[in-house]
Amino acid sequence: MKNKQTAKMSKFLIISVLSVCAGILAWWIVTDVLELFRSNVLPSPVKVMQTFMKKWVETKPDGATLLQHLFASLKVALGGYLIGAAIGIPLGIFMAWNDKIDMLVRPVFDLVRTIPGVAWTSVMVTLVGIGYMSKALVIFISAMVAMVINSYSGIKQTKTVHLWVGQTFGASNWELLTKVAIPSALPMIFTGLDVALGSAWTTLVAAELLASTRGLGFMIQQARGIFRLDIVIVGMVVIAITGAILSTIIRKIGNKIVKGGRLG
Amino acid sequence: MRAFEKNKRLILGAVGIFVFLCIWYIATKSTTLGKVMPDPVTVFGGFFTAFVEPIGTKTMTMHILISLRRMLVPYAIGGFTGVLIGILMGWYKVADAIFMPYIQMLRPIPPIAWIPLSIIWFGFDEGSKYFLIFLACFFTIALTTYNGVHSVDETLVRASRMLGANDRQLFMTIVLPTTVPYIFSGLQVALGSAWATIVAAEMIRSSEGVGWLIVRGQDIGNMTQIMIGIVAIALTGLLITTLMRVLENKLCAWTVRGK
Amino acid sequence: MSENKNILIEFRHVDKEFNKPEEGVYQVVGDLNIQVRENEFLVLFGPGQCGKSTILNMIAGFEMPTSGEIICGGKRVEKPGPERGMVFQNTALFPWLTVMGNVEYGPKMQGVKKAERRERAQKYIDLVGLQGFENSFPVKLSGGMQQRVGIARAYCNEPLVMLLDEPFGHLDAQTRYMMQDELTRIWQAEKRTVIFVTNNIEEAVYLADRILVLRNCPTGVKAEYEINLPRPRNYTDPEFLRLRREIDAVVDHTL
Repeated sequence: MKNKQTAKMSKFLIISVLSVCAGILAWWIVTDVLELFRSNVLPSPVKVMQTFMKKWVETKPDGATLLQHLFASLKVALGGYLIGAAIGIPLGIFMAWNDKIDMLVRPVFDLVRTIPGVAWTSVMVTLVGIGYMSKALVIFISAMVAMVINSYSGIKQTKTVHLWVGQTFGASNWELLTKVAIPSALPMIFTGLDVALGSAWTTLVAAELLASTRGLGFMIQQARGIFRLDIVIVGMVVIAITGAILSTIIRKIGNKIVKGGRLG
Repeated sequence: MRAFEKNKRLILGAVGIFVFLCIWYIATKSTTLGKVMPDPVTVFGGFFTAFVEPIGTKTMTMHILISLRRMLVPYAIGGFTGVLIGILMGWYKVADAIFMPYIQMLRPIPPIAWIPLSIIWFGFDEGSKYFLIFLACFFTIALTTYNGVHSVDETLVRASRMLGANDRQLFMTIVLPTTVPYIFSGLQVALGSAWATIVAAEMIRSSEGVGWLIVRGQDIGNMTQIMIGIVAIALTGLLITTLMRVLENKLCAWTVRGK
Repeated sequence: MSENKNILIEFRHVDKEFNKPEEGVYQVVGDLNIQVRENEFLVLFGPGQCGKSTILNMIAGFEMPTSGEIICGGKRVEKPGPERGMVFQNTALFPWLTVMGNVEYGPKMQGVKKAERRERAQKYIDLVGLQGFENSFPVKLSGGMQQRVGIARAYCNEPLVMLLDEPFGHLDAQTRYMMQDELTRIWQAEKRTVIFVTNNIEEAVYLADRILVLRNCPTGVKAEYEINLPRPRNYTDPEFLRLRREIDAVVDHTL
């Protein structure tokens, strides 16, 4: 019974592997073998792989190596993200904890959050010009919005029973917030950190496409201009992998902390 | 008593918005911010004027309608294929094994990062814009549908088998109804991201649409036009998500608990 | 005394083992031999996690014996089927269907014509006392009413045997007493073979024609009682109390 189940599992794993291999093979056949697509429309997987290896040391054609672009992007994204989280989390908690503030601020916030991150790029570029500041500001806003939403709903979901327990032990309002509400909101806050990271990273790519002189978004935009699709695909892959790695890190940290801090 | 509480919420909300507009107004009138940022009266005035006086070649109504069409066509395609693939993957393990690796690989790429590729593959016209918005909604809808199929309650499956349902009947009477609320929440989230992607899509050469208002505003350094575009996006976005929620409550009445 | 009655269900040397990831093989049921007579009200009574539900699930065809076989109506049980109706502890009603939709579900799956299945469903809705609630959704009904729908739904398929898996376990005491009376009434009006699983002695003595007391894992029959008290029964009747004490004495009280 048990063996049957594991046999079944590995059968589907094999199908998955075959599926991916078939996909790459088909890609290779239509490009390198049959030459149905030229490399300025669809570069072959071999070409993309070669470019990926070379781009770590080569600065052509956009003036920087892959690593330099990656660091430029990370610097902006993490800077805006950290400040966004530092302001967004307390703001969300505060909004959720204080009813009056909630009623006052919530409609404004609901309006502001419907504005897509990309739209802020135009505002910031016009306000402070192209550069580190405008990009960091845009990322700050989109990260902050995600943070506020999640920590807000985390606090709002605090179980009334838990608050009652706190009250019967004579906890003050401040103690209720820090000892009961915030610990029980931690999982949501970490979800927020994950979501915010996703939107920060996405917004960054948009900002770099629109207004930048360095970074992964800039790199793929430049490569598109000269029909170097191999570089475009390499850039997309690096963007995706970096985003996935950052999100995994946040989730790992979250699991560690939330396990220890969760209410019983 | 409850009516009073409800009104209180409404009144405080209105006060909040009013205070926000006042701060915006005072900040632009009395500080140097006013040099780059228009005041709210100018922005909202400009927004409403745009319904009669065209910006670019089109009036505001046309800008909004054109952007809506640009969003709805790929949204419908993405919704349809997403639900189809999601159900297929949820119901057949083989389909799951075949498609899931691709979805997991492609999903982390932000739709915006597809802009360069989509321009080369689909040109500067509607095709590339559709492609971007399709990407923005497809994965969300496919995955929530997939999760919906997997969330089917095992005892309901047993009950259905016990009452004599075959595979097809089990799917139609148990799996599908369980999945519908998931599909709806997927469609709702996807609608939000599709609308948010309209600005990105209209960054690709265009001459009309709410996203164009913003992108063009940036090109010519016209902050008022950017803000008008933002107001148009925010209000339209609010409107369509509200409509979607009303529709959902109508169609999934049985999920509403109580009374 | 009832050897002449027809045997409807028979367990022949049934073993059931589960594979648990940590503990390895775990025997739930060991060499079980049971015979269930036609139209009797059989109660399987036993302590906490003794595998009562597993026995029921095997009759229903949700789980298969590791060895041995179960015969129902002359046929070997291999998968769930409409001739074995089940009432679940958590009701397992379809939340997106109305009361009528739930009750007529079985006949509908069998392709019974609409007018006919409506008529049949209405009969059982009336039988369980839910007339007037045909178009209500399950979430709007109380726990007791929901379980009535569950009973009507199982009845409506006109099964050979009704399997009830602690159907009143989630109800409050008052509703539970009421539902026991209701079930007795329904069963007397529409005789069926009933196998009822419970961990409540009073409920067992109150309902049963025959009680099988089960032992802890691996489950087997520890004792058997014929209950010949006239219905409706009385919880405070001296004979009732004597039976209750007698059964209580043989039950495994280990936790």
